Amino acid sequence: MLNRLVRWSRIKSPWILHLNSGACNACDIEVVAALTPRFDVERLGVLLKATPRHADVLISTGPVTRQMKDRIIRIYDQTPDPKFVIAVGACAMSGCVYRGAYNVMGGLDQVIPVNVYVPGCPARPDAILDGVVKLLGKL
Amino acid sequence: MKFSIPIGPQHPALKEPISLRMTVEGEVIRDADIRLGYNHRGLEKLAEEKTWIQNIYLTERICGICSHSHATCYVQGVEKLMDIVPPKRGLYLRFLVAELERVHSHLLWLGVAGHEAGFDTFFMYTWRDREIVMDMLEAISGNRVHYAINTLGGVRRDLDEGLRQKILSQLDILRRRTEFYIKIGANEPTFVGRLAGVGKLSKEKAMELCAVGPMARASDIARDVRRDDPYGIYAETPFEVSTADTCDVLGRVVVRVKELFQCYNLIEFMLKNLPSGEVKVKAPRRAKPGEVVSRYEAPRGENMHYIVSGGADKPERLKVRAPTLANYPATVEMLKNGFIADIPLIFAAIDPCICCAERTVETVDLRTGEEKVLRFSELRTLAQERFDKNPRKGTGLWPF
Amino acid sequence: MNDLDTIERIKGALGSRIVEITNPAPGRIFMTVAVEDLVSVMTNLKRDLGFWYLVTISGVDKGDAFEILYHFGYEGGNLNVRTQIPKPTGIDEVLKEKTVPHLPSICAVIPGAVLYERELQDMFGIVVDNIPDPRRLVLPDDWPEQNFPLRKDWKFERPPEVIPGGKK
Repeated sequence: MLNRLVRWSRIKSPWILHLNSGACNACDIEVVAALTPRFDVERLGVLLKATPRHADVLISTGPVTRQMKDRIIRIYDQTPDPKFVIAVGACAMSGCVYRGAYNVMGGLDQVIPVNVYVPGCPARPDAILDGVVKLLGKL
Repeated sequence: MKFSIPIGPQHPALKEPISLRMTVEGEVIRDADIRLGYNHRGLEKLAEEKTWIQNIYLTERICGICSHSHATCYVQGVEKLMDIVPPKRGLYLRFLVAELERVHSHLLWLGVAGHEAGFDTFFMYTWRDREIVMDMLEAISGNRVHYAINTLGGVRRDLDEGLRQKILSQLDILRRRTEFYIKIGANEPTFVGRLAGVGKLSKEKAMELCAVGPMARASDIARDVRRDDPYGIYAETPFEVSTADTCDVLGRVVVRVKELFQCYNLIEFMLKNLPSGEVKVKAPRRAKPGEVVSRYEAPRGENMHYIVSGGADKPERLKVRAPTLANYPATVEMLKNGFIADIPLIFAAIDPCICCAERTVETVDLRTGEEKVLRFSELRTLAQERFDKNPRKGTGLWPF
Repeated sequence: MNDLDTIERIKGALGSRIVEITNPAPGRIFMTVAVEDLVSVMTNLKRDLGFWYLVTISGVDKGDAFEILYHFGYEGGNLNVRTQIPKPTGIDEVLKEKTVPHLPSICAVIPGAVLYERELQDMFGIVVDNIPDPRRLVLPDDWPEQNFPLRKDWKFERPPEVIPGGKK
């Protein structure tokens, strides 16, 4: 019974943490633009939090650079269970144009397990919202 | 008694991992140190393995906010190496997109400055108007960011008459809204008082540390590549350099707002005097051997690309100097003798495009030696709390 | 003032220290000096001729030598000062280790140059003498020593990629 209540609250209002691991900022500005009055994601209950300890969903952009690799793993460990990871943008999926560079790991799934991939360069805010909704549908 | 404060790579403020380590004595910052490298992607080595056209798409993705400036700077240089001159209509369209990009970048920055100062309504207003500019860019090029409209020898797509009229009408709406922002910004004494006197950078220090862009222009140094070294069509368009002489964050806001009005005038001029004709010429596959220096005024400062060619179809060396890297020593200088409560504001005032350089801020408590990683938003709430407890009455007036 | 006047002024102030000076395009002046004269040339440029704005410092690997360019901006164009240092091979007899290329620092003249010199140190392995702050700039902390990415003879081998839940 308590489990159903908790699961309902998690679906109705996921709190997200935004993580940038070496990106060019285009996807990040689109994530922030999703909060602005045109797309307005807060009406769906999604709140942008500051610390991984409060977050349910990690939204990450950018190809992972070697310097950021350990920090991302640390932040992933700090997020309490159950947690979900969304990889936004072509860079987080496979490295986009930076595939083969010496400082880039080549996609987020080389470092932490990923649940949803949102393509685009950069991914539009509506596509990011679509990704979040599809994730909630799987819960 | 000195403390050292680190602020960590992950923060919701401007979405980029950066690392700052500040030595603090009480509330006053004595020294600052920035650690770069989180965002280093090895681009210059990668550019040596891709052809001239593939490199256009690579240089676009150096930065998401000023993507057209990097692509245009690169394409200008390569066109000089290949000895081709794009037609007039192509040049006008290229710089029309460039000025629209400058508008969207300055509106973005105004929102961020409002957010860092605690004025969230301003943030929402400016980003809502930024959507008008994004719609125009999407209609011209097909994408909201990373409009791949440049190609060697001109632009890829043309503008038709209906779209031209639509952009002119939207420009009126933008002008009215920007005047509204000046009215509310200038008449809001808490906003002006929050920004005045913060992050002072004197003119001599700015010259010594080679600051660029609106940072230098707010310290009364009239340096703008569009006037010093005119490229493209800026030699024949009406344009003035905007400066301010207050040397603090309020001066930087004033410079950017003045530049917004210059941009509107330039866009109107370009749309009304758009010449007819072709939009591109054919470019050869290989470039002649040589070297070229290409400079461009991005929204954040001066962007420079240095390209060496060995006669092949790939560049021999591509060197990129982004403007935020040049402003970093000046930031360290501004942070000294400031307050902790001002860190987010000073940092946002340089308009950090940290994909060119990444930092996090870490705080190290010198007294106890413990390390605490503060998120930038935690720092911002901390800053706002401390400011509310002892507000400084700044006597700043909007110098318009 | 146009390019010819600028070239005359520079020649007047620097005299014989200039090896070569060219003007390939309007607003672009390229000048070559020897490494030994570098700091004195910079002092003259800043103090007497008023070139205070250093845009950046670029390094190019030319195969048997490194070419370092200092780009200055001024009202009317761009001045580029070029110098070459040989790329050493072989072992130093005194120190019994591989020789490293050396370059004098200009941070005493132009304090804003420190970041660009640190980047040269990271990317090419050039040791800059008298630099005020010799730490790493852009490479990560766990980068192996003696690997300088922008040298032409350095190649990167990408480790094989693992696709979770899919084919290799």
